[in-house]
Amino acid sequence: MKHARLLGAAAAVMALALAGCGTGTAASSASTAGSAPAEKVELTFWGTYGNGGNSAQTTALAPLIDSFEKANPGITINYVDMPYDQLKQTLTTAAAGGELPDLLRSDIGWIAQYGKLGAFAALDQAMPDFTTYADAVYPGTLAANAWDGHYYGLPLDTNTRVLVTSPEALKAAGLSKPPATFAEFTAMAGKLKGTKIKAFADGGLGQWNIMPWIWSGGGALTDDAVTKASGYLDSATSVAAVQMLVDLYKDGQIPNLIIGNQGATGTSDGLPGGNYASILDGPWMVDIWKQQYPKFTPNYSPVPAGEGGSVSVIGGESIVMSTSTTHAEAALKFIRFTQTEEFQLAMAATGQMPVVETVGTKAAEQYPYLAAFTEQLKTAKARLNIPEASKVDTILNNHLTEAFKGSVTVQEALTAAAAEIDPLLAK
Amino acid sequence: MTRREAAPAAGGASRQALTPWLFLAPGLVLFLVAIIYPILSAAQMSLYDWNVLSAASSKFIGFDNYVRAFHDPVFWTALANSGAYMVLTVPPQIILGLGIALLLKAKSPAQPVYRVLFYLPVVTSWVVVSLLFKYLFADEGLINWLMDPSMAAPISWLSSRWAAMVAIAALGIWKGIGWSMMIFLAALQGIPAALEEAATMDGANRWQRFRVVSLPAIWPAMAFVLVMLVIGGFNVFISVLLMTGGGPAQSTEVVLTYMYSVAFGDLDFGYGSAIAVLLTLVVFVLAMVQLRVYRTDEEVSE
Repeated sequence: MKHARLLGAAAAVMALALAGCGTGTAASSASTAGSAPAEKVELTFWGTYGNGGNSAQTTALAPLIDSFEKANPGITINYVDMPYDQLKQTLTTAAAGGELPDLLRSDIGWIAQYGKLGAFAALDQAMPDFTTYADAVYPGTLAANAWDGHYYGLPLDTNTRVLVTSPEALKAAGLSKPPATFAEFTAMAGKLKGTKIKAFADGGLGQWNIMPWIWSGGGALTDDAVTKASGYLDSATSVAAVQMLVDLYKDGQIPNLIIGNQGATGTSDGLPGGNYASILDGPWMVDIWKQQYPKFTPNYSPVPAGEGGSVSVIGGESIVMSTSTTHAEAALKFIRFTQTEEFQLAMAATGQMPVVETVGTKAAEQYPYLAAFTEQLKTAKARLNIPEASKVDTILNNHLTEAFKGSVTVQEALTAAAAEIDPLLAK
Repeated sequence: MTRREAAPAAGGASRQALTPWLFLAPGLVLFLVAIIYPILSAAQMSLYDWNVLSAASSKFIGFDNYVRAFHDPVFWTALANSGAYMVLTVPPQIILGLGIALLLKAKSPAQPVYRVLFYLPVVTSWVVVSLLFKYLFADEGLINWLMDPSMAAPISWLSSRWAAMVAIAALGIWKGIGWSMMIFLAALQGIPAALEEAATMDGANRWQRFRVVSLPAIWPAMAFVLVMLVIGGFNVFISVLLMTGGGPAQSTEVVLTYMYSVAFGDLDFGYGSAIAVLLTLVVFVLAMVQLRVYRTDEEVSE
């Protein structure tokens, strides 16, 4: 009898818990409408500010959260720092369990994927004053938040990759300044031949890695309307840009790190260590090198220009609200706070480039090292924001690896990749 | 006395039937919740274009995910790599594990020390040893330096499919020897000393004693080790994820790393589940075949 009763009780508890899970999202939308501002609200905010052992950003964030809490009594922000590698898995598990945080600092590359899934709220619908904030940010950073006619986030910080060169390597090549064009870039590689320094290194062949070269060479991934890759990714200009890198690779001027050799020296150690002459990287490296290689003073200059000019790739993060939050009003207040000059300028000090245009100009004056990145951002382009973006990267990586290894030509690789990307765009 | 006799009468057969189940309950409930339920969920998910969001609905697509796996070259590469890993790691673990167990069988003051040393890798975290081996096999790593201290033309172990599989298998063997050694050691110590002595008296040499006395005695242990290692070989995951990440160009992907990237990278949980179900079937069939082979062997010998 006792056992039966216990079992019954356990079953009842389970049933209640399960019912609670199921109705969680439905209840949330109802309760947000009538939430009183005086209510005590705790918001969970996930981010990756501390990634790469970079304590500067989390240190800068703490006083900002204090300031927000002081201005908005009753709301507390519980910031949880996540390792970048694990964030996507944790986020997916949380979505499956209906345990998403209220707020999230999401990579701009994930917006479409999670927006389609229904995990991120459409801010242009949830936020009555959305356009006020949308109009204030750089158009390129806002565009990365759009998917299927709605905006699923507001840009929080932006970045791009510039050419980072080691002064010692330039000296070894007999150069006084970093290569500014494709021709100067290959000339530098030629002069470094015979030394132990490789001309250029990168850690992959996805959009983030290869598109700056293709765009600068005058090529493209797709047409402007993003409906087709065939005819663009495999155009003569796209092929020529990749061919330049493949030739350098075959000549031993680019290490096999680029095709995914996990045993090769990474770019962040290889550049200061004198293994590599140049890499493409973002503004966060400034702080990381300051901590790990204090004597290293690299040059930051625009991506070498080809026929298409100097065009890099836009990175960055957005602030998003999950669809399962029960405190939408409070969460939106914090989202508005992230767009203020107070927030944007304080984070700019740690290499988080502002997304609000007016603040961006101020930050560039205040922090001169950001100037190269601010300049590069003017022409930088966004990666595809489609839910299948991760598959596009896999396709590019797989086919280009074959081209670098020499088992197919660059033309064959890009034509095959374009044919596989086409159906993903049609979806 | 009367109470004790009365109890079964009053409780009836039902209580008697319930008692074993209650004893089984803790383990059984855990097994159902943690093993059976996830397996059934995965089987269900594999038939859908699964949306991971808790409140969302998913589209039923029948066996489309299985058809897709059949036509997916990366899936076949991954399955072949898992199989290759199994073939590369299982025999050395058995032979070396048994060899060390034979060496350690003799009573000596140093025996516990060596037992611990060989067993240490087994209890060390996979993450730690995977990173350790990644650095050992790096271009500028210790293995290359030992092969050629001048480092003139170092081998990029992790940059090509088979060299990388060798490095990953080396880790698997090193980490697994201690476990099979422990099982064999226990089995060897269970052999009555009289049998060995009798064989010695009959003039059997060391090899003959091993073949006719030791080997038949540890045969059940051998079967157990083999079945477990084959299952373990097919389930290789962390070492591949951390040492090569399945690269370059997905050439060192194994079934579980591919499943992981499909599910958590592309958020394609339906297809990921189909891959998981297929792996379960392969492992299940292999285990059944092995058990059948060993069972008939035993029956014949008896």
